[in-house]
Amino acid sequence: MTEKQRKERTDIVDNVKFLTASDRAVSVVFGDEISLEVNTKVKMLAQELEKHPIEGMIEYSPAYSSLMVHYQPDVIRYRELVEELKDRIARMTPISEEEQIIKEVPILYGGELGPDLEYCAELEKVTPEELIRRHSEPIYYVYMLGFAPGHPYMARFEDPFGFKRRSEPRVNIPARSVVVQLNLSDLIPFDQPCGWNIIGSTPLELYDASKENPFLLNAGEWVKHVPVTKEEYDEIRRQVIAGTYQIKSYRKGQ
Amino acid sequence: MGILVENGGILTSVQDEGRYGYQKYGMSPAGPMDPRSLYLANILVGNPMGDGALETAFMGLRLRFEEDTVIAVTGGDLTPRLNGAELPMYRAVPVKKDDVLSFEGMKNGCRAYVSFAGGLDIPLVMGSKSTAMRYKIGGYEGRKLEKGDRIGFVNPQPELPNMEKRQLPQEVFPKKETVLRVVLGPQEDCFTEKGRKQFFWYSKTITNEFDRMGCRLECDPIEHKGDGNIISDGIAFGAIQVPTNGKPIIMLADRQTVGGYTKIGSVASVDLSRLAQCMPGDKVRFVQISLDLAQDLYARQMKRIRSFDVKWNA
Repeated sequence: MTEKQRKERTDIVDNVKFLTASDRAVSVVFGDEISLEVNTKVKMLAQELEKHPIEGMIEYSPAYSSLMVHYQPDVIRYRELVEELKDRIARMTPISEEEQIIKEVPILYGGELGPDLEYCAELEKVTPEELIRRHSEPIYYVYMLGFAPGHPYMARFEDPFGFKRRSEPRVNIPARSVVVQLNLSDLIPFDQPCGWNIIGSTPLELYDASKENPFLLNAGEWVKHVPVTKEEYDEIRRQVIAGTYQIKSYRKGQ
Repeated sequence: MGILVENGGILTSVQDEGRYGYQKYGMSPAGPMDPRSLYLANILVGNPMGDGALETAFMGLRLRFEEDTVIAVTGGDLTPRLNGAELPMYRAVPVKKDDVLSFEGMKNGCRAYVSFAGGLDIPLVMGSKSTAMRYKIGGYEGRKLEKGDRIGFVNPQPELPNMEKRQLPQEVFPKKETVLRVVLGPQEDCFTEKGRKQFFWYSKTITNEFDRMGCRLECDPIEHKGDGNIISDGIAFGAIQVPTNGKPIIMLADRQTVGGYTKIGSVASVDLSRLAQCMPGDKVRFVQISLDLAQDLYARQMKRIRSFDVKWNA
């Protein structure tokens, strides 16, 4: 390790905050902004905890700028846990481009399942085709999963839309909807109320009970939305229901 | 088969210690509202302490046994009866085929736990028998129990060793006002001095919005320094979230895993049982304790619970 690298590590450890979230949970805070830079540190700690778990830790759960560690205080006390966490933070290693995964999520834009596509295009003063292009060309980063099981909070880092939420939230929108505002885009795993505009639907299940790991996405992955026709959507949906569909995924930079 | 549900009561579900390892996917752990009572129910009948049992709220559950086994009822006193006669709580009790267990109404507390020696035959979903009802995951078909449901026993035990010793003093839950010990954090510094005083000085009333997800309290608003919003972070069992309107919500077993409101503190784990036994209209008062003390109390409680396991089941 060079002197510079050593200093960087000490800086990271010094700048991390450990907040008491309960007598059985600590929140490790890496910054006070929603950014790829801060979230990457959250992901690096998650990776380190997978490699070198701490005895007494029950599980961890990443958020935008913090990572929550649930633990058993009858096995490890707060102070000991924080020391262990500092050790893991000092050992964190950068995540290379090759380690980052992109998953392709097919989307049927517009129509019955994307009722706000034209409205959104109007707001942006572009054609629906142009709106689809602007939504589907960039890749999106999965900051975290939450709100409902398998629900990704995603963002792109270029060309945000100008519109935010709808003035009146909908009481219920269907599972598998694609909802957008600004540079944010989420995929809805279960029917739920929602105030965002719906521009499409994916044939994939964000949560599939028949699978051993039922979740489509992991925090820290990237998503590429791929426009499909109604016929392709129906065909993929058939394969998903039959359990034969394989999601296309590859390493970033490939 | 094991049990036939003749009446599901108001809200009865299968819960084990909870589904862990999936909060990173946004999956709430579910599990018991009153963990201590679940652990004791299981240990009384010789099961692993975190095994699946029934959590039943308020009243109305009626079960018919279709096989002999040993059961125990813990938690709130909902007037349990076996074939119409009073059933002693916190005690292993043998039951025979065609016996009927019923819950006639709330005497003290509001959630009871029924354990069955040898365990309930419920498939594991992501490693757990707990029911996450909002998403229809786990437990008995992902939902609360209804009339006509049948659940088998894995390994029913008509008799257990040390039968006469398997009893504990019944826990009595406070009525009207419950004191809950609280550890500050993670965002206590987002509140004004006045806000923190309001939080600890005055008792608060439990509203009707009290379910397995959370417990909403009525009180004068707790004053924030800002607007009460933060960058969404993780939410622990018992976390006390104070949204922009200043009215606290205690986050419970079926809570969301992340949220964007400030959390002033969290209920000490040892006091979650007492909170789970409260009813809308009851008062709660918060008293601050140190993290060290909360962890001491928790470690002591778990040691005590495990000591019964060693005594009866080793």
